[in-house]
Amino acid sequence: MTNTLDRRTLLTSAVLGTTATLVGATAMGSLAPETAFAARSQSPEPGAPDPNFAEGRVTARDGSMILVSGSDGRFHRIRLTGGTSVWKLRPTTLDQVKVGDGLYARGVLMPDGTLAAESIWVNIVNLKVHVTAIGKNVLYLDHSGSRIVGHVVPGTSAAVYNGKPAVSDLSMVKVGKHAQVIGAWRPDTNEIDVATIYAAA
Amino acid sequence: MMGQVAALQALVIGALLVWSSYGKLVGPLVGARARRTALKKFVGEKRAEPAFRAVGGVELLIGAALLLPPLWMMESLAAIALSVGFLGYLTYSRVASPDSSCGCAGSATAPVTWRTFGRAGLLLAAAVLASTADVGWWSAPGGAAIAVVLVEVMLFVALSSELDRHWLLPLRRLKVRLTHPLAATAAYDVPLATTQHQLLRSGAYRAVNSLLRSDIRDHWDEGEWRFVSYTATYDDRPATAVFAVPRLRYEPDEIRVAIVDDENGETVYRPSLLPVLA
Repeated sequence: MTNTLDRRTLLTSAVLGTTATLVGATAMGSLAPETAFAARSQSPEPGAPDPNFAEGRVTARDGSMILVSGSDGRFHRIRLTGGTSVWKLRPTTLDQVKVGDGLYARGVLMPDGTLAAESIWVNIVNLKVHVTAIGKNVLYLDHSGSRIVGHVVPGTSAAVYNGKPAVSDLSMVKVGKHAQVIGAWRPDTNEIDVATIYAAA
Repeated sequence: MMGQVAALQALVIGALLVWSSYGKLVGPLVGARARRTALKKFVGEKRAEPAFRAVGGVELLIGAALLLPPLWMMESLAAIALSVGFLGYLTYSRVASPDSSCGCAGSATAPVTWRTFGRAGLLLAAAVLASTADVGWWSAPGGAAIAVVLVEVMLFVALSSELDRHWLLPLRRLKVRLTHPLAATAAYDVPLATTQHQLLRSGAYRAVNSLLRSDIRDHWDEGEWRFVSYTATYDDRPATAVFAVPRLRYEPDEIRVAIVDDENGETVYRPSLLPVLA
């Protein structure tokens, strides 16, 4: 925790320019995109599975190594690093990746066959739904005839109405209307926690 | 009274069948509707529409025969046969093609659920009851019989998911208006999604986009700023990109960015077009 706080302090002062540790000639570059360094090439062979991507269910976890069995039958070994971002309803910490979770991972395939993860999205779902009913902090949704229970998590769930910036107020979501929901699935249930709901208001 | 209730069944079944045939015979979307049902799998995609229309024709014929005098035993027997056929078709549909629409009644698309089976079962029971009638529904039934049949009609409506939008959804909307179940979500806190929305539209983000290697790794608030950090690489060295985003205002031009070397903590990149805060 102290580490996190120290790090945040360092980063805060770096971005607000309150430190004098700025180095290097390129450091004072312009905002133009071309000044940015070209990213490492990540493009896969045409027709072949993207080597830098993995998806599936977590079958085992040993420290920073997680084993994932893909829905296409492939098996992945994914290594979490200090630089891995983890999303599970919200940006969270590495220890939140649990056995049984579904995930998408993007990273770099190492020579030993493991995927060094740069980003992991745990249990993320993106659903086009019909709002069939609304209860106390819960949305009852219909997704192609399947009933889905969407839990509203106060403080985290957000709503985007008509493409405007997100707000925390979900009370303008209407029964009987269509919506799109980004959420975190609760493994092996028909329930999700709502991260963002896109609706018309 | 039971005889009168039995006599009224022809009216109920007849009306239901005529309504049901309407969606199978009328309108430009019949073909599309047919291809969403399990008929597509049962008789093939090409023959789905003719088969769908044929079912509609049979429904209309039997429905009209039940509604119009004279009273024939054949009519209710045909209705029984049709109900048994529906139950068989629904079972096939549920097993062979669970994602398809039932194509049952009216023009709405509705999946096969327990309510669909309930309605087909109720239809069969009504048809069996109708076969015991010895007078026509037009023979002035009593008030009690009409009350029983009204309850039956309400049951049919309750079991028809095609009709939900006319009574169930308005009721649920009314409940939401009265109880405000999501009112507690309104807060002054700015969701992270708002910050990210603003960040993705900023020049600062575009400037370093190709250096970013991860999704949001950490975020924290300080005063009017919200800080968001990403894993990055700079000159092939591991680094962290940190953005300062105005927390309560939408000002993408004011977003600042710095890239900090992970090993020695030095700021290696910070666009100078932005004023440096003292």
